[in-house]
Amino acid sequence: MEGVDRRNFLKLAGMLGGSVTVGALTPTIGLLKLSTPETLTFRAVAGLPAPPLPAYASYVLEGNVNLGAQSGVITRMVLAGAPEAMSDIALPGLSQTIRVKEVLPGSGILRIRGEVADRSQIGAGESPTVEIVVDRSRGIVRAPFLGSTLNLKLQS
Amino acid sequence: MADHLDSPGLMPPGGDASIDITDIYAFLKPGDATKSILILNVNPLTLASGYNTSAIYEIKVDTDSDALADVAFKVRFTSVPGGGQTAEVRLATGSEAKGRDFIGQILFSGAVVSFGSSPTITTNGDFKFFAGRRSDPFFFDLLGFLNGFQFTGSDFFADKNVFGMALEVPNSALGPNANIGVWARTLLPQPDGSMLQIDRMGRPAINTVFMHGKEKRMFNQAEPVQDVARFTDEIVAVLTAFGYSTSQAAGIAGILLPDILTFDSSSSAGFLNGRKLADDVIDIELNLVTNGAVTTDMVGPHSDYLSDFPYLGTPH
Repeated sequence: MEGVDRRNFLKLAGMLGGSVTVGALTPTIGLLKLSTPETLTFRAVAGLPAPPLPAYASYVLEGNVNLGAQSGVITRMVLAGAPEAMSDIALPGLSQTIRVKEVLPGSGILRIRGEVADRSQIGAGESPTVEIVVDRSRGIVRAPFLGSTLNLKLQS
Repeated sequence: MADHLDSPGLMPPGGDASIDITDIYAFLKPGDATKSILILNVNPLTLASGYNTSAIYEIKVDTDSDALADVAFKVRFTSVPGGGQTAEVRLATGSEAKGRDFIGQILFSGAVVSFGSSPTITTNGDFKFFAGRRSDPFFFDLLGFLNGFQFTGSDFFADKNVFGMALEVPNSALGPNANIGVWARTLLPQPDGSMLQIDRMGRPAINTVFMHGKEKRMFNQAEPVQDVARFTDEIVAVLTAFGYSTSQAAGIAGILLPDILTFDSSSSAGFLNGRKLADDVIDIELNLVTNGAVTTDMVGPHSDYLSDFPYLGTPH
C-alpha cells in the first residue's frame, strides 16, 4: 500500500490539480480545503432518497484528514431535510465517527480507508471498515450508505 | 414518513418540533358504533420536551364536502408552575371552526398532560380527552426509503415516541352526516397578532412525498380548499416520474387532493376510510405512487397499541 508522507504530499497535491502554499496561508485544492499543508478538510452532501422522489434527508460527510500521518476523523450522519434546506437534527442511529487508517492517492482521487470508531454504532450486516473516495475532478465523494454506494457533492 | 419532519429544514418557525404534526387518525370506536376516535400526534422523535404553550392545535372536520371546516376541536396548553402542562379543549362550529382564534365551547379545561407511562384521561359526558407522551404508532422502514426503496423490514419508528392528543367524541358531534373529512393543523401567533398556520395534515405522506423544497412550506400553510388549484401539478410531476401517464396522474391527484382524510363514521373499515393505528398506509401509498413497482416496505403494525382509550401505546 502506498502511504502519503510529507515528501509525497506535494506530489499528491499536484496530482489533484491545485497548488499548495506552505506557510500561514490556508491553501486549497479545488473544493478541498487544506487547513495546514498536510491536513485535508472536506464536507460532502447527498440528498436522500435519490430523485425522482424529493429528498427528505441529507447524507453528510465531514472529514479532517492528516495526509502525512494518514490519520484523522470522518463523521457521517443523516440530517433531516433536503440538502437545500438541511436541519441540524441528526436522525438517531445513523451517525458514525470513522477513524482514518490509510490514505491512498490515485489518479485525481484520494482513497481514504478507515474504521468505525464505535462498533456499537454499526448496523446489522454493516462492515466496520469504510472506504471513502474523494474525487476532486468530479467534485464528488463516493461513500457507502446502508450497503449502497452514494455520490455526495463536495461543498466548499 | 407520514408527516414527520415535513417542513423544509425540518423545523417550523421558532424552531419548535412540538408543532410538527406526525400523524392523524380517525376511526370508529371499537365496540361502540356511536362514537369516533380522533388522534393528532406531534413532536417527531420527541425532539421537544412538551407542547408549545403559544400554539393552537386543531383537528378540523368538514361535514359537507366543501373542504372547509364546519367543526373544529381546538387545543391549547398551559405550563403548570413547578413543571408539567395542562390542556384546554374547545369545540368550535360554523365560522368559529374555520377561523384561527381559540374560541368555541369549552370541552375540557385543566386536563393534565401525561409525561409518564400511565395515561391520564379526562372525561366530560360523552367526550374523553388525553394528551401526553406516547409510543409513536407509525411504522415504516425509513432507512430503506432513504436508501432508494431497498427495504429490509427494519422499522425505524419501533422505539420512537411522540406527543399525542386523543379525543373520543360522539358521532353526533361530527355533523349531521356520517361521511366527513378530517385534517389537523398547528398555528403559532405572529408579532402582528395573527395566527400563522405552521403545519397541516390530512392523508399520510402527501406533503413528505409529493412536495419539494419551498413547496413543503407553501403546502403546510395552505388551506385544503386551495389544494387542487395550487398543488395538482406537483403530484402529477411525481407520479409521471414513476411511469403514470399524465391523465392517469391527474386522476390520482384528483383523489389525493384536497389533503383531507375522508371518514365514514358509520363504517369500521380502515384506510382509505379514515385511518386506524394499525393501517398499513405506507404499503398502500407505495403501491400507488410507484405504480405497483413497490408494494411493501416489509414492516407491519406495532404490537403496543392499547385496546382502550387513548389507544396509543406506552412510551418507550
